[in-house]
Amino acid sequence: MKIAVVGAGMTRFDRPRRELQEELVAQAFKNMMEDLPELDIKKDISAAFYSYFSDHLEQQLCMHWIIHDYLGLSSKPAYRVESGGATPIDAIINAYTFIRAGLFDLVLVAGWEKMGELDTAKVNEFIAMASDTDWDYPVGGYYSGYYATMEVRRMHLYGDTEEDLAKVSVKNHNNATYNPYAHWRAKNGTKKITVGDVLNSRLISYPYRIMNVAEVSDGAAALLLASEKVAKKFTDTPVWITGIGLGTDSMRPGDRTGNPAWVGLYPEDEAVWPEAETKPLSPYPEMANFGSFRVAADSAYKMAGIRNPLKELDFAELFNPYDGVEISAYEDLRFCKRGEGKKLVREGTTERWGELPTQLSGGLYGQGHPVGATTIGQAVTIFWQLREEIPKKWGSRNAQMQNPKRALLQGHGGTGTQAGVIIFER
Amino acid sequence: MVLEEKVEFDNSKLNKWKKWALKGDMGVKGYRIVEGAYGSRVDKIEKRRYMVVERPHGVVYQHSYGLLSRFYEGLLNKKLYGTKCPKCKLVYLPPRVHCWNPKCKLEETEWIEMPLEGEIVTYTIMAFAATPFLKDLPFILTYVKIGNSCTAVPLQLREVNPLNVHVGLKVKVKFVDKPKGDLMDIYVVPAEKPKPPKRSKEEEERLKKDLKIVEEWVKKHFPKEQ
Repeated sequence: MKIAVVGAGMTRFDRPRRELQEELVAQAFKNMMEDLPELDIKKDISAAFYSYFSDHLEQQLCMHWIIHDYLGLSSKPAYRVESGGATPIDAIINAYTFIRAGLFDLVLVAGWEKMGELDTAKVNEFIAMASDTDWDYPVGGYYSGYYATMEVRRMHLYGDTEEDLAKVSVKNHNNATYNPYAHWRAKNGTKKITVGDVLNSRLISYPYRIMNVAEVSDGAAALLLASEKVAKKFTDTPVWITGIGLGTDSMRPGDRTGNPAWVGLYPEDEAVWPEAETKPLSPYPEMANFGSFRVAADSAYKMAGIRNPLKELDFAELFNPYDGVEISAYEDLRFCKRGEGKKLVREGTTERWGELPTQLSGGLYGQGHPVGATTIGQAVTIFWQLREEIPKKWGSRNAQMQNPKRALLQGHGGTGTQAGVIIFER
Repeated sequence: MVLEEKVEFDNSKLNKWKKWALKGDMGVKGYRIVEGAYGSRVDKIEKRRYMVVERPHGVVYQHSYGLLSRFYEGLLNKKLYGTKCPKCKLVYLPPRVHCWNPKCKLEETEWIEMPLEGEIVTYTIMAFAATPFLKDLPFILTYVKIGNSCTAVPLQLREVNPLNVHVGLKVKVKFVDKPKGDLMDIYVVPAEKPKPPKRSKEEEERLKKDLKIVEEWVKKHFPKEQ
């Protein structure tokens, strides 16, 4: 059975958004309904899946109950999905799975986060509560620390450089300048940035600078998923979900040097190891790569019949809270071999004019990162790109890809502790 | 049957924090009215009035360290414990009470005393951190393999110039003077002369400048700590 996305909408990611969460979701929902004149909320929508990350950030438990009745959906089945940064991709995959199981025909997926009610240091502290609070948290690194140690590991093993990281940042920030829903553009306008701007921005956790790091944003986004049976009732140009995949890795990144659960799973990647370095018990993914992305991607590729992702995908939206994650993702999602992600950066493969553009939305610091909405917002960008609606939706002709057919969406939570991949096709 | 009795305790600070938690009751402590933005697209914004209230929220958790309590009690006594699986012989620090090797089917591990030495798997120089750690900036966060543990534990590295830290550096584990029962009771220091990582002149100058900015920021915001 085929599953379609028939509608997508969002409200700009920004900080602070002073509207209430339900008012933000209402804006995203209305934005989506602009293209769904036939939609009867009461008759057509069969269920809803909600995505928000943190009860601490929202100061509200079960906030989706507020959202659900606000949208006029009381009585309909619904629940909240929660898995850190992976929450929004998991919510989409939940909706997909229920439709595919034949339980529902038309399912709303809505995500939001308001992170602007606390100062940034407190926000980092609350987000870090998704790491092991007895082990990783007390030492004071928090996510900017954990991810930075993982990138230093990559720099040591593969030779990623600060300049590679800066190039990724420049690409993504500049992509965001076309996007009127993007936090970066709301804050900084449409001026382009350079590698020098990134390298001279404030150090957060070596090698990461403020311009290599995800935004703390408020915002909301929504998708409407449909069974093949009802999809055509709502649109002539559905976007099909042709592959999904989930994967996991250990809670603590430090445990990945010796995790028996991984040993032998990816022999080709285990073989990529500098001779001078002691080989750990589990050489892949170790601390240098994101194995959960690999597991998720492999099952999504299999389902969608993709053998060479670099050639067969037209663009990708990745979950890049820190720039090294994007370089690692190129490897773990099989765009290139392990350790060669930096080459794709240096050769411009993922630039907007390259063979496989990534982060046309701007990604997590470009479009922004209101956790529960982040990946749904990236899915909205994919939906508009695949339907060639960017000129209308963004007011920019230049930002529209020529004739795109197939895109990848990747999301994850923790330090790649949980991940999902979805393939969209028009 | 008595299921639990207090064997040893230090709650000298608890009352102060319990009062603080009661005070932080989510009640409104202040407000402001602001003129702010409304709308989905940044190029199509309208103005609206918003009322913003301040609502503090305080909590004190009574957290049990479970079967890992042996490790934390060890810290109080300045001893470092890990665990070892009797079946597959893997050594864990962080300790695991049940072996995670799928072959061992959650076999209960045995406690062993760990040597106070290890090697740096990776590191970062923290130049911005969450609230409790701001005054300590810049500090070095490392993942260290202690003894023959197969996993690495996050610890702060001290007594070294951040520019000289590198992967593979041999380190010694030290205890703070007054352990209180979390991972900050221990830290590591170099056990050998560091071999600074290769950096271009430009990278080195930039990093020096970064560290200076952080030090000045800390001086300005935490003058008493200096």
